[in-house]
Amino acid sequence: MRKIWKFLSSMQFALILLVILAAACAGGSFIPQGLSLEQYAAQYSERGAGLILGLGLDDVFHAWWFLLLTAFLCGNLLLCNLVRLPQLVKRTKAAADPAKRGAPAVSVEGVRDPDALFARLRMPKPAETRDAEGRPLRFSVRNRIGLWGAWVCHLGILLLILGFALGQMTKEEYTVYGVPGQIKQIGETDYFVQIHDFRVDRNEDGFAEQYTAGLTVIDNADENDPLAEDAVASVNHPGSAFGFKLYQNSLGDAAKLSLRRDGEIVQESWVCAGDSVPILETPLSLRLQSVLWEEAEGERLPTGYAYMIYVGEELYTMNVQGEGETIPDFQPYEVQLSEAQSYTLLQVKRDRFTPLAFLGGIVTMLGLLLAFYLQTKKLWAIQNEDGTWTVHGSSPKAGALFADRVREEAEQLKQEK
Amino acid sequence: MVNLLNVESVLFYVVICLYFLAMIGYFLFIAIKKDGVAKAAAIVQTVGLVLHTAALICRGIGAGRLPMTNQYEFATSFAWGLSLVSLIFIAKYKFPVIGAFAAPVILLLIGYAAMQSREVKELMPALRSSWLGFHVSTAIIAYGSFGVSFVLGVIFLLRDRLKDRGFWDRHVPAKEKLDLIAYRSVCLGLLFLTFTIVTGAIWAEQAWGSYWSWDPKETWSLVTWLVYAAYLHFRIFRGWKGKAAAIFAVVGFVCVIFTYVGVNTFLPGIHSYA
Ligand code: HEM
Repeated sequence: MRKIWKFLSSMQFALILLVILAAACAGGSFIPQGLSLEQYAAQYSERGAGLILGLGLDDVFHAWWFLLLTAFLCGNLLLCNLVRLPQLVKRTKAAADPAKRGAPAVSVEGVRDPDALFARLRMPKPAETRDAEGRPLRFSVRNRIGLWGAWVCHLGILLLILGFALGQMTKEEYTVYGVPGQIKQIGETDYFVQIHDFRVDRNEDGFAEQYTAGLTVIDNADENDPLAEDAVASVNHPGSAFGFKLYQNSLGDAAKLSLRRDGEIVQESWVCAGDSVPILETPLSLRLQSVLWEEAEGERLPTGYAYMIYVGEELYTMNVQGEGETIPDFQPYEVQLSEAQSYTLLQVKRDRFTPLAFLGGIVTMLGLLLAFYLQTKKLWAIQNEDGTWTVHGSSPKAGALFADRVREEAEQLKQEK
Repeated sequence: MVNLLNVESVLFYVVICLYFLAMIGYFLFIAIKKDGVAKAAAIVQTVGLVLHTAALICRGIGAGRLPMTNQYEFATSFAWGLSLVSLIFIAKYKFPVIGAFAAPVILLLIGYAAMQSREVKELMPALRSSWLGFHVSTAIIAYGSFGVSFVLGVIFLLRDRLKDRGFWDRHVPAKEKLDLIAYRSVCLGLLFLTFTIVTGAIWAEQAWGSYWSWDPKETWSLVTWLVYAAYLHFRIFRGWKGKAAAIFAVVGFVCVIFTYVGVNTFLPGIHSYA
């Protein structure tokens, strides 16, 4: 039992996990994800397809074994950090203790002014004491905090994975689209989005550079007392209301569809490109394909509406209705598309754990900074009988490089004197 | 507008010539073993880097945005990053042999850039984000650093096979130190790769509402990240420094190149623009 425990918290296990996870991710990017048995069979063989589905290779990143590996990694990290916590506290304390200097990576003899060398190496002012044999000793340590780098980094990764996993399990995602004036329900929730306006900023070439929707989110849980919060969503600047974030995802053409009978309007509604609208009691439905635009003197004007007509699921005809014309196929109704504009497509999400995941990312970066750029260094000097000093230095991570620097600086100091 | 892009075009070819000259210089240094030649090569590379920077600035101003949004721009920026980081390591560790191995890689990258379309295209709105700017610039430093780790890994693996011990012993640090220098470059790379992934996630969250979606480029940057994390642990684990670490540094860079070129070429995804 102890052995298993030890293995689970060991770096050996960590290495195995890192390598397998890397391989699994690479595999997951090569095998197209989320296809059906037939599609896999067409690409690979029947047996290959069976294998892919059997092992969950069609959805590697959510496959049970992938989640299990990730869980093991988390457990491994957690155990490793727990086990190492008391050791680290001890090591951090010991690093400041002149009596526990350890073996030096470099020793330079004949130094006359050790304080100057400490300063040149940007070491803190050394403590003055005596060694076990009673000789004068100067001791200084820098960047003890660096000892915590790996620990902080591991903690960050744990938070990151935790935030991501909790987010995956609890997040809500919806899509809402519409034109100004419409109120749309967010999924099946009690919330509604009212679209007030939708502005598309275009450059001289008519290329959309930014689009912005002015919105109100309405909490209709209590129908007698609805609550409302305003939000503005533009690309790269999501809006937020009631814990939802509203992302400006894309835009498309929309037009007003009017049905007239004997000159009287019987129905009016908005259609977005891609939507089909059944036409009252006829068996037909009309689908707006796109709006045709023309640039004229910096203005963008609609010239026509490409549409399709379906009988049930079957395509019956397709054509273009000019601006101001009508579509003749729906007798006794006179059908017209007009008032072309853009609809906004919003991604509406609620993921309370995103901040946790980002916190994890930041802690990870902090840990890496500590581990890599605040490397612990020790420098100490012991006075010899002739009055000169022997300077020793060590650094668990910078070893030979730190040794070189100590030698170089000592040499330069000697020459300057 | 048009003028600056033309200036950039001319500079680009001048830069290729300078990097080529620098490479010849570094090779010559190894062939005739004169330290002065190495210095001259490093100076030529530095001039190349300065003009390369100027070229990127011209393109940035000419196109009205950061010059890092398509294959051409990213390839030349990648070459720039490798040139910058290699010069820093050459200067810091007085190690011009790095140049002899880095220069061919720089030329390959910039040659790849030369084969790409140079057209300045309109950016879709989602790509107009300052997070994206951080994302790509940190990626360039990360990739440049990993390029140097790769070069150092190769030098490490070749070190013992080279004849003329006197020259190599004088110009290539002892193995322990070489390993530490390579470790430094991996640290720089991994730190910046982490910045890249985090800033990319922040950008994706704001633009698409999803900070991680297992798109192939994301996945491969994670693979690269895991490989270098494994490198770090292998170095600590039973002190597998040296050869094993060097091999990992080389494999890691293969992942970097795949993340950059292979993913766009072989795998579909939302990163298909760069
Ligand atoms: C994605 C996963 C991981 C990442 C990114 C990571 C990152 C790091 C980093 C950056 C260091 C510092 C290395 C250095 O300074 O040279 C480190 C050290 C270390 N890691 Fe990890 N690690 C991961 C997983 C693990 C796991 C699962 C374990 C569990 C045993 C582990 C155990 C250690 C140990 C024991 C050290 C040495 C600490 C020290 O020198 O003070 N790591 N890790």
